[in-house]
Amino acid sequence: MTSWLKRYDLSPTTAGLLLFLWIFFIAFMLYPLGFVFSHAFFTAEGFSLVYFKLMMTSPNYTAILANSINLGLTVTLFTTLLSLPLAFLLVRYDFPGKALLNGLILIPLVLPPFVGAIGMRQLLARFGSVNLLLLQMGVIDQPLDWLGGGFAGVVVLEVLHLYPIMYLNLAAALANVDPSLEEAARNMGANGFKLFRTVTFPLILPGYFAGAIIVFIWAFTDLGTPLVFEYRELVAVQIFNMVTDLHQNPMGYALVVAVIVITLVFFYVSKRLIGGKGYAMLGRGHVGSVVRPASAPLTLLIYAIVLGISAIALIPHLGVLLTSLTARWFLTVLPAEYTFKFYQEIFVHDLTLLSIKNSLFLSSLSTVIDVVLGVAIAYLLTRKRVPGRDLLDTLAMLPLALPGLVMAFGYVAAFSATSLDARINPFPLLVIAYAVRRLPYMVRAAYAGFQQTSIALEEAAMNLGASPMKTLYQITFPLVFANLVAGAVLCFSFAMLEVSDSLILALKEQHYPITKAIYALLKRIADGPYIASAMGMLGLILLAASLFFASRFFGRRMGELFRA
Amino acid sequence: MVSVKFEQVTKFLGQSRAVDRLTVEIKPGELFFLLGPSGCGKTTALRLVAGFYIPDEGKIFLEERDQSRVPPHKRNTGMVFQNYALWPHMDVWNNVAYGLKMRRVADDEKKQRVAHALETVHMEKYADRLPNQLSGGQQQRVALARALVIEPDVILLDEPLSNLDAKLRIEMRAQIKEIHRKIGRTMIYVTHDQAEALSMADRIAVMHRGRVIQVGTPRQLYTHAESAFVAEFIGGTNLLPGILDERGELLTVRTPLGVIRASNGATRIACGDSVLCSVRPESVRLQPLEGAASALLNQWTGEVQSIMYLGDSEQYTLRLADGTLVRAVDYNPSARRAEVGERIFLQVDPRDVVVLPQEERGD
Repeated sequence: MTSWLKRYDLSPTTAGLLLFLWIFFIAFMLYPLGFVFSHAFFTAEGFSLVYFKLMMTSPNYTAILANSINLGLTVTLFTTLLSLPLAFLLVRYDFPGKALLNGLILIPLVLPPFVGAIGMRQLLARFGSVNLLLLQMGVIDQPLDWLGGGFAGVVVLEVLHLYPIMYLNLAAALANVDPSLEEAARNMGANGFKLFRTVTFPLILPGYFAGAIIVFIWAFTDLGTPLVFEYRELVAVQIFNMVTDLHQNPMGYALVVAVIVITLVFFYVSKRLIGGKGYAMLGRGHVGSVVRPASAPLTLLIYAIVLGISAIALIPHLGVLLTSLTARWFLTVLPAEYTFKFYQEIFVHDLTLLSIKNSLFLSSLSTVIDVVLGVAIAYLLTRKRVPGRDLLDTLAMLPLALPGLVMAFGYVAAFSATSLDARINPFPLLVIAYAVRRLPYMVRAAYAGFQQTSIALEEAAMNLGASPMKTLYQITFPLVFANLVAGAVLCFSFAMLEVSDSLILALKEQHYPITKAIYALLKRIADGPYIASAMGMLGLILLAASLFFASRFFGRRMGELFRA
Repeated sequence: MVSVKFEQVTKFLGQSRAVDRLTVEIKPGELFFLLGPSGCGKTTALRLVAGFYIPDEGKIFLEERDQSRVPPHKRNTGMVFQNYALWPHMDVWNNVAYGLKMRRVADDEKKQRVAHALETVHMEKYADRLPNQLSGGQQQRVALARALVIEPDVILLDEPLSNLDAKLRIEMRAQIKEIHRKIGRTMIYVTHDQAEALSMADRIAVMHRGRVIQVGTPRQLYTHAESAFVAEFIGGTNLLPGILDERGELLTVRTPLGVIRASNGATRIACGDSVLCSVRPESVRLQPLEGAASALLNQWTGEVQSIMYLGDSEQYTLRLADGTLVRAVDYNPSARRAEVGERIFLQVDPRDVVVLPQEERGD
């Protein structure tokens, strides 16, 4: 026993920290998940698969599950088709304004699709701008159904939102391919598509799947977008509707378990496809890179593609912007009159003002928790040998793969009738839910910081007489400070615009965060959608500013934040 | 067996001329070295042969065929990369077989040739390993097999041993030379390690600032360097500045140390030129002041400044009367010739002095 302990660095501080982290993960990750599983498999009479039997035999449920999987796969497919050429062109060619285009590609990432959905609805509705424009031009004589009952609309918005994640992963993977590996293939007689198929593509596969699984899970479990489109044939929406009456209808548990199982299956399959590990690239040869200057026509083509895609990605949000500025917009292509009054109303309206205050409060608190937990975990992972290191790592990263919907559902169910009951006061659970959801970003940011900071710098301080604590404060923290700030900014802004947790956990108007307030406003007739759009625009600006800020710190490593 | 010819080849990398009007001819079947310090353009020259770069000016011929604009995959060169560049997603067998697959070689022949190539480098037992499961030396040999198996017109080696430890490096020198002898193909080998070049090469081209400064056999380069750069880069030397006074049977150079007599001189120097006398450290003879024959040619006294004992040799740094520092090496040293601070005689045989043109250092 003692010899087993000696293999680890377990000072009282380290042990205490570890214990605290374990309690946190058990209470707020493992317990809620376990609760959901037990209620899905156990009825009052004991173990039973009755809910699953029902789920598999009822055409209603199977159709909905198939539909959600279909959505996830469709979105993944289209993001791939969109980002692969983008990544190839931007990684492999040099041309004036490349940094600018690189930034442009990332913009859709800061446009939450459920906000964009508001604008999309305005533009593509039966009597929306697009149909009216086409009618006026005489191209069509009947309004077209653009949204395809909702499914197409959800796909389009999610693809336009998620392709930057795929792009970041593919670009990072491509840039990581040692140029000499491709040179060796050309030296051996391969070229063009043959070279891509036999060498380049297999080498970027791990990076591709890391991005693809995130995109899939995101689309598979997205709640906000389908809700705005009032598209109900998705498992996420069904679960959302069941949260309120779990006691009467325990099918919700079974559906959540189904979501988890499907997520795990896709996770496992994608890991299996890449052989469970990435390829450690060999040391680079001293001849730099394969980045070539693009010819003038190619530069033009790249600009056309990137600007074209970005323009399309921006259309929904342009719709939001227009809606937020609209004084009168009825049966015309563009608003007939413009006004700023809805931006003013945000700050007088009870619901909106309160929701902004709530969100600021909740997000600040959750960010503080993220910073504390993230730094502690990253520190233990990089600087100490602790028992269960890999498990700690896995748990900290798990929220990336665990749909927010699942966690929120688990919280509501597991903590009902306790002092944390969301129906009485959702704030504690909201803070924790936000914190857990974004913890991986903070851990990654801090981890990168600790890893870039050579231990030798800390050893030098201790060698000169600084205590471990002093070293931590005077050497380590100042050196990783930039990373911590960037991570914290990301956590904060994502928490401000968190959708599923807010929609599920906040049940009373006085507790609504921004996103739930937007959702509530949308359902209101009269000026609701306009104020909602104005709120959405504010949120966009906040997220855009903070992602821009964070990307200045992360630079090229931005992609690592969005991979599984 | 194929010859390779550079004809006035210039290649710009960014703003600098990485290769500058390079002209050199490599004979069929030769093991030819491009030797020079880092940044001299030797790797660029090699990559021009492989086709990874296209010359900005001039032409490259393989066997009299102009190959300057042929893309890499149509050149039939086999390259061994400095970091080996083994594809991590393919096992050893597939790495080696890749070039044959690209050439659509029939299955039976492919199997037999891969097996033979792996035998040649003693890696036949590792065919199903992944590159990550191999040591550096093993990876190096797989990279070599991959280049050999396609029976290329010319084999290109880019600092192939630089990532190996010292002992393995010396073993691999012999192995590569043996492989070259067996297959008899033209090989171009890039290195900055002069010992590697001297020990393996048929001929060496010393490169500096994108140009070839001197081409010759290892022995020619060592004993008849034609420039101070070559003399210094290959083996290291002492350079004593002076003015060439006379070209008789011996060359006479007037220096601050007195007159130096030499029996070898570069061709492009004339009387009155500023010159450098190159004296290899191992040709400096050290003798105690008392009891030595005096009035020999090229004899000076110096004070021992420092001594380094290296086991097989002992290196002395000596300060001469005018302050010039001279290095001397005593091989297989049995005892100290002098202690630090003592004075001692230095003597150099005129046959061991080479008179070289004094170059502008900025050249």
